[in-house]
Amino acid sequence: MRRAAGILLALAALTLPLWIANAYFLHVVIMAGIFGVLASSLNLLLGYTGQLSLGHAAFFGIGAYASALLTLRWEWSFWLALPAAVLAAGIAGWAIGRLALKLRGAYFVLVTISFAGVIALISINWMDLTNGPLGLPGVPAPELGPWSLRTKSAYYYLVLAAVALAYEVCRRLVDSRIGRAFVALRENEALAESVGVDGTRYLVLAAVVSAGLAGLAGSLYAHYTRFVSPEVFLFTYTVTMVIMVVAGGKGTLAGPLVGAVLFTVLPEALRAATSWQWQMLAYGLILVVLVFFLPRGIVPTFFR
Amino acid sequence: MDQLLQHLVNGLVLGGTYALLGIGLTLIFGLMNVVNFAHGEFYTLGAYATFAALTLADLNFFAALGLAIVCGLVVGAVTEFVLVRPLRRESIDTVMLVMIGVWIAMQNSELLVWGGVAKSIPHPFSTTPLTLGGVSLAPLRLFVLVAALGLIVGAHVLIHRTRLGRAMRATFQDADTAALMGVRIRRIYTATFAIGSGLAAAAGALLGPVFIAYPSMGDLASLKAFSVVILGGLGNIAGATVGGLVLGVAEELGAGYVSSGYRDAVGFVIIIAVLLLRPSGLFARAERVG
Amino acid sequence: MRKRWFLSILTVGVIAAFVGSVVIGLDVARAQAPVRIGVIEPLSGPVAASGNYIRMGAEIARDWLNAKGGVLGRKVELVIEDNKSDPKEAASAAEKLIVRDKVPAIMGAWGSSMTLAAMPKLEEYGVPMVVETSSAASITKRGNPWIFRISPPSEMEAVGLEPYVDKLAIKKADFLAVNTDWGRGSIQAFGDLLKKKGLPVGAAEFMEQSATDMNAQITKIKTTGGDTLFLTTAVEQITLVLKQAQEQRLSRKIVTTGGSSSPTQLIKQAGAAAEGTYHIVFFMPWFPESMPDGKLATAFVDEWAKRGNPFEGLTEGFRGHDGIVTIAEAVKVAGKDDPKAVRDALWRVNLTGVNGPIHFEKDGPAGKESGQSKPSIFIVQIRDGKVALPEFARK
Repeated sequence: MRRAAGILLALAALTLPLWIANAYFLHVVIMAGIFGVLASSLNLLLGYTGQLSLGHAAFFGIGAYASALLTLRWEWSFWLALPAAVLAAGIAGWAIGRLALKLRGAYFVLVTISFAGVIALISINWMDLTNGPLGLPGVPAPELGPWSLRTKSAYYYLVLAAVALAYEVCRRLVDSRIGRAFVALRENEALAESVGVDGTRYLVLAAVVSAGLAGLAGSLYAHYTRFVSPEVFLFTYTVTMVIMVVAGGKGTLAGPLVGAVLFTVLPEALRAATSWQWQMLAYGLILVVLVFFLPRGIVPTFFR
Repeated sequence: MDQLLQHLVNGLVLGGTYALLGIGLTLIFGLMNVVNFAHGEFYTLGAYATFAALTLADLNFFAALGLAIVCGLVVGAVTEFVLVRPLRRESIDTVMLVMIGVWIAMQNSELLVWGGVAKSIPHPFSTTPLTLGGVSLAPLRLFVLVAALGLIVGAHVLIHRTRLGRAMRATFQDADTAALMGVRIRRIYTATFAIGSGLAAAAGALLGPVFIAYPSMGDLASLKAFSVVILGGLGNIAGATVGGLVLGVAEELGAGYVSSGYRDAVGFVIIIAVLLLRPSGLFARAERVG
Repeated sequence: MRKRWFLSILTVGVIAAFVGSVVIGLDVARAQAPVRIGVIEPLSGPVAASGNYIRMGAEIARDWLNAKGGVLGRKVELVIEDNKSDPKEAASAAEKLIVRDKVPAIMGAWGSSMTLAAMPKLEEYGVPMVVETSSAASITKRGNPWIFRISPPSEMEAVGLEPYVDKLAIKKADFLAVNTDWGRGSIQAFGDLLKKKGLPVGAAEFMEQSATDMNAQITKIKTTGGDTLFLTTAVEQITLVLKQAQEQRLSRKIVTTGGSSSPTQLIKQAGAAAEGTYHIVFFMPWFPESMPDGKLATAFVDEWAKRGNPFEGLTEGFRGHDGIVTIAEAVKVAGKDDPKAVRDALWRVNLTGVNGPIHFEKDGPAGKESGQSKPSIFIVQIRDGKVALPEFARK
């Protein structure tokens, strides 16, 4: 039963641009995909290792800026810039991991927030590198041989591939011995350490992979919107990610993806359905009600 | 040299209000383990309540301040009762998410009710600054500093000298044992949340007239409050007090001597440095972290 | 059980809203369908006041147009979106307006970052946008032929100030600006102006857009020995700077730039601290009869007051009016509400808005020029708690 549903879903996803003719909807789907990768990355830390990182927008932004700068300033090909962005974000993740993962709980949260804050301020003030508040307009669209991936349908497939990649990476990690170590650390760190699981080492690994995936999402974002500015570091991006993971169901692989789709579609649907005064108020109320009735998230409530 | 003094004085005034915010949040976060992202919204509520009391009800300034604090207490209590209490058993992330929803809802309601134009809150103090040496200080700011210190002392007294405070401390140390000893845990939680929110509202009511009131004023306040809480150690009121003052002064000095663009970075860097060197905060006794 | 029920209802509800909006969006093509104009402004967030003033001005323009029979015999309808001061939202809003609402033109998006983020969408779909506030030079220099700006870039503003620099007796100036493209661009442009006149610049300080405490910056500026402070930010921060400058006894000439200073609001909120300050504005609602089209300006001020809109919003609200009438005029000249036709028509429009004459000249790289109009620029002063023309600007 599940298999059939899965195959159906995959078919639908692969043929999506054919039956969604409206470009605006395709835009929403692409954004949902990018946030899906982002939410999955946060889920690795939050859902599996139990550490809440509220600075994840920093890795997203680093990926976006790295990719944009490499293609704009030094005219790298997108296909080189993308992995470079992942690497840059991953290194940042490693740095934060090494520094911050001596701490746990609330203290870790605060260091991640502070880190994101510092990076955001650097992006605004270091004009020579990032062009500061003026941002980087005109980020080129990716090209595959003679074809430009500027069209929405083409970009959709790129994002779909990324989502599949992110899912697969997370799945492999989670199903492996490393994944079990994550869960052990989340459930009872002292006990896990007593049987030889090196907490800090595994958590740093989670941080690196998580940051790298966030950087991937950042690069995709930069080449889709073709404009990067310090606003990518806005706290609202982090908040949105957290909402997607927790409401979708942390600690599950599908949860963040479900959350990403729901919470990308929801504000846009509200935008279309209500006037601008009520859009965010309705969003906040729906969020409260949703969490109230489904405290464990959508996927765990329905599929466990 | 008197630039330094001026910076110090500015920093202390700001720091006093950071301390109020921090004490409020350390009670909520430290005692109840609630990651209260809506804390800044109570700050905003305090400012708008003061504005409403002054312009709509034509109250005296000090009465308006008092009313704003009461407003914070009441709304805090109601929020705890309706939204936090039923989710007591759920994970910390779930409660955090609800508070995020409350944050969004409160901020947008304020936007709806008051509009996006910032409100100037009238006050009875003269605008001619007092000068001492080379340092200028507006009478209003002096009042804010004194009032903030008064409230901080009041909070200390509440926690350390009253029965309610004792019950709160007992609950913080060990909720189950406290319950066995007859402490009404659920009421303590409601009271804690209410007091924490009331202090945030007080900070907003005091700072509102100094600056201006606008719907998103609470966002930065929330962030600063979390910084102060961690600096001082979770649940540590004295720590939050000193932490708030330290943060205020550090920000001022950083903005003055390093770079105004990186002003907020100073706070962040301090946080990171403190946490790496003394993870349990500046003032907590050495305890197992986490 | 209750939970499942609840979520099913919620899911159905969300899907219904989405589907519903699709259905609603399916425009039944009728000759009497209104001419829709998209509007993207920051209606929430730190600059919500400005965004809302522009919306109010746009609504007056719409109502006046409709009272005169609309455009091409059809009613004008505004489709208003909030960009929440977030470039991602600005881009999404543009996409939605173009694809779902099928607007032939958009006005927006206030902040330069927001405008820049929406620009790729304009090129992708071929829809023109009238820029009513953004001041970054890059907007018209990027080679986007769908952009038409009626607000002045910072360079133009500086040129507008040039004749007054001597009269203001500036010997050494400091800058305090909001840390955005607007603030930085302003410092650049006015700094160049001063350099041209051989005048030294003291300090150039910044403040974050949401900062409320500028005491540190003011303390630093106090030490430079300058006699003039150029201040570029939105009215709330100007209020705070003026108050804090007064508290610290900063005694020098203050000149605000950018046109978002709303002197009336400053008088109300900063009181004595605003006394003597100068302001570069693009509309003088205190003496509308001295505007290029005195009758129109006076009528606008009266209508604004009639609607109960705050007087202090006029210095920004007029931009909303001028943007909408420009688009309406272009639709009229084009003869249809097709985006490309409207774009071509924008090059041919010649009208007078509240600010003055509006006519677009080529700006930017050859072959892909954007349109830039040359708006009128004024300087006023706050004296005795009222707004007046400075001595030297009186005819």
